[in-house]
Amino acid sequence: MYRYDEFDLGFVSGRVGQFRDQVNRRIAGELTEEQFRPLRLMNGLYLQLHAYMLRVCVPYGTMNAVQLRKLAHIARKYDRGYGHFTTRQNIQFNWPRLQDVPDILEELSDVEMHAIQTSGNCIRNVTTDQFAGAAADEIIDPRPVAEIIRQWSSLHPEFTFLPRKFKIAITGAPQDRAAIRFHDIGLMAQENAAGEVGWMVYVGGGMGRTPMIGKRIRDFVPHEDLLAYLESVLRVYNRYGRRDNKYKARIKILVHEEGLATLREQVNSEFEEVKGGVLTLPEEELARIRAYFAPPQFALSDDRFDLAALKREDAGFARFVEHNSHPHRHEGYTSLTISLKPVGGVPGDATAEQMEVVADLAERFSFNELRVSHEQNLVLPHVAIRDVRAVYDVLNAHGLAEANVGQISDMITCPGLDYCALANARSIPIAQELAKRFGTAERQAEIGPLKLNISGCINACGHHHVGHIGVLGVEKKGTELYQLTLGGDASENASIGEILGPGIVAEAVPDAVERLVQTYLGLRKAKDESFISAVKRVGPEPFREAYLAA
Amino acid sequence: MQILTANELLSGASVYFGRDRRWHQDIHRARIFAEADAQELDAVIAAAGATTRLVSIAVEKVQVKAGRVVAHRLRERIRAEGPTSPRHVLQPLREGDHVSL
Ligand code: HEM
Ligand code: SF4
Repeated sequence: MYRYDEFDLGFVSGRVGQFRDQVNRRIAGELTEEQFRPLRLMNGLYLQLHAYMLRVCVPYGTMNAVQLRKLAHIARKYDRGYGHFTTRQNIQFNWPRLQDVPDILEELSDVEMHAIQTSGNCIRNVTTDQFAGAAADEIIDPRPVAEIIRQWSSLHPEFTFLPRKFKIAITGAPQDRAAIRFHDIGLMAQENAAGEVGWMVYVGGGMGRTPMIGKRIRDFVPHEDLLAYLESVLRVYNRYGRRDNKYKARIKILVHEEGLATLREQVNSEFEEVKGGVLTLPEEELARIRAYFAPPQFALSDDRFDLAALKREDAGFARFVEHNSHPHRHEGYTSLTISLKPVGGVPGDATAEQMEVVADLAERFSFNELRVSHEQNLVLPHVAIRDVRAVYDVLNAHGLAEANVGQISDMITCPGLDYCALANARSIPIAQELAKRFGTAERQAEIGPLKLNISGCINACGHHHVGHIGVLGVEKKGTELYQLTLGGDASENASIGEILGPGIVAEAVPDAVERLVQTYLGLRKAKDESFISAVKRVGPEPFREAYLAA
Repeated sequence: MQILTANELLSGASVYFGRDRRWHQDIHRARIFAEADAQELDAVIAAAGATTRLVSIAVEKVQVKAGRVVAHRLRERIRAEGPTSPRHVLQPLREGDHVSL
């Protein structure tokens, strides 16, 4: 993985020193909260309902064991022994004290981590496919390009005060596991007629109160021109993006109001100027960065799973293999997802002990590589198939072997009103009740793949718009209500869920979801027609009827 | 009826302005301001702002039921009691975190 060079090191430790000084001045009363707030946000420090929250960046969701151990140490020493992995592939600590934050940041910098660009109107942490560099269907490992984008965007002088935050996602595979069409810019690897690999560019996707699917602005940008092209998009956005109304400030609104054709023209004319200039990426530089992401020394092996035999021998392990393993590009290997969605748990939370267990497993069985997925799970990207049983046994002993990846209980869930100052309603208890209702192996086997996502307000941090079923917390006269949406899809067949009807109380949510599930089970053509395929085939009406039939 | 709340700077903890002019984590110790106390409330808000030790100063509507202070909004009730699922205790105030006016 990428290692800091001297510039990175100096920059990150410089920032820690600067922030320590700012914290001291705030505590001494030399800075007012109005002055301090933007400074702390630039360093990932929010104030929530009960305490501060520190958001730590995990660049493109890639980590090693030493880094995860450091996160465990921070959870234990400065927090309450746990951390919350987010859908932006980052981690949040919910209980740090102000004076401790500079120390935390200093400890993070020891392992090449930081909290920069996790907040504010800048280019945020670039997200990617959690199976990057491992997936069988990948055209190219997107991480070197993600790293180059990180370097280009970190404190880019022109782009630290954008009209609004800016999120970029990138995937090197045709199957989109990074929700790229719901980002301000989404990049998907493409091969052109000459067999060269470059990038298809989508622009103007996003969630929040005005969800939009990103539109294709350019079919193919070669590697060497990618930064120039991104710079052109950002310049146009920086110039024309609305600063008068923060609800209209994201690039998706610009695309919507001006039209894709106009934006494309503006970007192209900018691109003509920038192209071939200083932002051109020389092949040597790309090669230098790529070397950091060289594939590990895989052993030769033709091992594969015999699922039928496993099912006879050990149903639990077979379920784990079936749901939590993902095809690897190298024969004899697999990528294992460690679900952070146990029934009754808090989606995305991991204790310090669990982090240490996972760090050990990464060292022993995954070439010291780890990933955070945007579905709030952890991934061991390169596990030899012959080691999977050993990994499973360790996970099982630590409550980490939930075999539910891609199933209804594998929910993306934001912190909601239990923590978040912007929330309308709680998300976590809803997730817990739904997991209790649907989380057994038998029910999930019956239902098949189904994405259910929950947000506590319209900001949509929990990706409810792209849940096959989405749950959105709203507030009416002081009570929490929940609106259900149907038919969202974050994959390459992107769609936004439709609202099914008026909000319902928390207690009614499991039954309402039950009615949707029963409707699906009743109308699917065959067992292998998934929930989302069935919804797309028949449309929302039968589901709406069932929803309203309470 | 209203109370005055804020987050204490060092801990980030939610605190309530008490009848003894100190800030407490226990909402039940909060000073209740009636309509008629508007002037006093304004003065306390100004004084709280001047300490620079209190963040997100806000007024919240409450009722008093059987001697207990019950916030109008669920948000405030969760703020006063801590996360619900699982239940976490409130962020503790340490020695140096206590503020009085
Ligand atoms: C105190 C905690 C948080 C605050 C204050 C917060 C705030 C916000 C706000 C204001 C937006 C809307 C922005 C816009 O539409 O312009 C947003 C969107 C979002 N947040 Fe959060 N958030 C928090 C926690 C989280 C967590 C825990 C996650 C991950 C689980 C997350 C991931 C996202 C994502 C993916 C979006 C999607 C917005 C988009 O791309 O349009 N946030 N957040
Ligand atoms: S969706 Fe709303 S409630 Fe949930 S974390 Fe985001 S801002 Fe908070």
